[in-house]
Amino acid sequence: MMSNLTRDLIQLKALVLKEYREAFRDKRALMVALMMAILAPIGIMMISKIMIEKLVDEPPVYVKFSGAEYAPQLIKHFADNNLLAFVDVPADEKSTWQQRSITLNIPANYAADMAAGKPIQLHLQADFTDKAVQPPVRRINNALRAFSLSIGYKRLLLRGVDIRLLNPLELVEQDTAKPDATFMLISMMLGLYLMLAAFMSGLSVAIDSSAGERERNVLEMLLCQPVSTLKIVLAKLISASTISVIGVLLILLLTSVSVGFVDLTKIGATFSLDLSTAAILLLLLLPICFFASACQLFVAFQTKSFKEAQSTVGMLIGIPAFIPFVISMMDDRPQWLNWLPIAGQSMIIEKIFKGVELDWLAVFTTSSVTIVITVALILALAKKLKSEKVVMALS
Amino acid sequence: MKVNWNKIITLAVLMLSTTVWASDASLLVEELPLEKLTLEDCHLGEIRSQVKCGKLVVPENYQQSEGTKIAINFAVLPAIDDSEYKTPLMFLAGGPGQAAVELATGLNRVFREVRKTRDIILVDQRGTGESSPLSCEFEAVDNVYSALPDALTPAEVTDCVKQFTGDVTQYNSENAIRDFDAIRAALGHKKLNIYGGSYGTRAGLVFMRMFPESLASVVLDSVGPIEVPIGLFGQSGARSFNLLLENCKNSAPCHKAFPNVAQEFQIVKARLAKEPVDMDILHPRLGTPTKLLIDDTKFTGNLRFQLYGMEGRSMVPLVIHQAFLGNYQPLIGLMARTEGEQLVYTGLLFNIVCNEDMPRVSAADKAADADNNFDGKDSQLAWDMVCPFFPQYRPSEDFYQRVTANIPTLILSGNLDPVTPPSNGEYSAKSLPNSHHIIIDNASHTVAMSTCASDIINQFLTSKAPGNLDESCLQNIPQERFMTSVNGIQ
Repeated sequence: MMSNLTRDLIQLKALVLKEYREAFRDKRALMVALMMAILAPIGIMMISKIMIEKLVDEPPVYVKFSGAEYAPQLIKHFADNNLLAFVDVPADEKSTWQQRSITLNIPANYAADMAAGKPIQLHLQADFTDKAVQPPVRRINNALRAFSLSIGYKRLLLRGVDIRLLNPLELVEQDTAKPDATFMLISMMLGLYLMLAAFMSGLSVAIDSSAGERERNVLEMLLCQPVSTLKIVLAKLISASTISVIGVLLILLLTSVSVGFVDLTKIGATFSLDLSTAAILLLLLLPICFFASACQLFVAFQTKSFKEAQSTVGMLIGIPAFIPFVISMMDDRPQWLNWLPIAGQSMIIEKIFKGVELDWLAVFTTSSVTIVITVALILALAKKLKSEKVVMALS
Repeated sequence: MKVNWNKIITLAVLMLSTTVWASDASLLVEELPLEKLTLEDCHLGEIRSQVKCGKLVVPENYQQSEGTKIAINFAVLPAIDDSEYKTPLMFLAGGPGQAAVELATGLNRVFREVRKTRDIILVDQRGTGESSPLSCEFEAVDNVYSALPDALTPAEVTDCVKQFTGDVTQYNSENAIRDFDAIRAALGHKKLNIYGGSYGTRAGLVFMRMFPESLASVVLDSVGPIEVPIGLFGQSGARSFNLLLENCKNSAPCHKAFPNVAQEFQIVKARLAKEPVDMDILHPRLGTPTKLLIDDTKFTGNLRFQLYGMEGRSMVPLVIHQAFLGNYQPLIGLMARTEGEQLVYTGLLFNIVCNEDMPRVSAADKAADADNNFDGKDSQLAWDMVCPFFPQYRPSEDFYQRVTANIPTLILSGNLDPVTPPSNGEYSAKSLPNSHHIIIDNASHTVAMSTCASDIINQFLTSKAPGNLDESCLQNIPQERFMTSVNGIQ
């Protein structure tokens, strides 16, 4: 004689196996569902690389100097800053720089005026509305200012002035962020993609096992079996959220690999996803995976057709992208945001990446609230499935 | 009793030529922390991010481990990417008497490539910085313009020495190295890489002899080998100055502007020796009237100080020529650059040089060193004045042994160096079996501070193969250039 519990478990197991078979049957659909999880780490790597290059790299700029012969030291200073003469432009870049046509005119009286201590005007000509011209122009400006200042300092020094007088005030910035705080761009992107993965990966499975099964009349058959609707819903939830968890795991794993290809030390930053951090992130996101699948199932069952389910549930994806974004923009965050699903988690993730010590109470509260809402959604859905309206999409 | 060491500080020291402002020395005897090692987050100098500051309590006298304790101050600039452990780099400062932690801002910049993957450890050598500094109270208003490098009386020196707390004879190089190795052990590192600059190379060589098993690799930049006593800088200064004159002669603009600069130098020197310049000027910083006094020793002393770095050197011909014309403003401007700054902890400087190096110098050595056309015996004045009245100790016999440790060692020298010429580096290159000596033609003292040698060091720390490094970037160091007009360059 089997106990009730054992029988329940065997039934649930059979149902879950059925859902898994459905979910994993179409390998290509599954791959597409997990595509985001696979592409996100590559995206993080690419964006970081581009950002770092913009921040630190100073690609050569080719300037049409006129009168370069009057100011050899200035031209040398420009060259030290990778601001080169147009005559040296490599053939493949020639047309680009020809078009940008940045011109610097050095007057013929440069040397005489320099020796006489007179101010010298150099004329810089370019199309200043052209976006591609702006960074080179800024660099020419900075290089010229530095050169000019260094001469000015020496002129005063050689007149017996204490050149420290020229800097009466100096602001020394002291960053109080933890020394091991990571590159914020990566952690922000990773936090966002993790949320997205939790929501998106299980999406197609959730829709297919609800609205899809209803259209294929599989749902009716299932409900005719002598099992409770709660078990049916649970099986569907487990199957969809398993895919979500796989998505989250994939992102964590691939990101820790892909970030290794970015030289963050160039900008004085680092990023390492150690095992304990990954474990905590996973712990935080597990309830979110279930919460997401529950929401998707709930909404999908409310719709009348597979098509409607697709578009309605598709809108749900906006939430995980939208909430962390809004939160990151907010400077003063109300206390209750800490408890909200998604909002609470994304704030904790932000803190983890900042290297701040983990507030386990916050983890516990936000996880609890998320789980409670998930359970409520499941129970409501199980009850609804007892009604024909929902099953036949009649409402 | 206030002693003005600056009267004589135009002397030559083996110092790093980083342009970093030294902070005021705290003369308070601090309370020792209860724990042996403390390490906490802190901000240092102008470094934006947080670094670690620590103290380690060590015995003042290592022979009496239960006796008086002192705290050694140090800092760790943590590796930016610490995902993989790499042997850290410890920096040994120059002087003797520079405080490493005070140089953090400049070192953070110079060793930025190294710091990407390695911790950088800076230790205030005992007697400097916040490690029980040996320093006398300075005169409150200390006027470098009106002061002449006149004689210190024995009473002034002994009064200063009396201000030192603790047993000064324990503030020697060997105990400093024991401190450094204790900090290595306390931080949990099995091995260290060390970079010694200037006197730091002497410290590094002592380290190699005392604790070879603690060292993974060594960089000696501008070497003060055991074989050459620190303190005789007459010949090396003259060599550096004559190279400058030669480079000016070979540079068309410089030769055109100052065709007779060598003679002009001798004329100005003779003129000042006969009668010091005494004139009223505006204080370069305060803007109020003050007196300027310059004699020949002060003149050459200030020029000598410019020989340490390429920027200072670039102004020397101009300064000499203007002085020849009777215009001392350029010289005043150069003096103003470091006015009021404590560059080294003078107490430790004399304690080490007077006890570890000067006893080995004979009268004949001194006479030979003074026989030069630049500043004669001026660079010896300070030692002669102070050393007889300083407390005495003698290092162990081993101290003067040639160092032959088989540790990968990169030796760097700047050819234009006024205190540690390339011939110094040759001594170490000969005695150290696994070493390579790079001489940089157009660089002066402590080459890593101002040239791409810092990148070569970074390479070396990874490869540990001193003879097999990519030195090509050194080709891009330009020839020595000179300012030819008080209004700048063309």
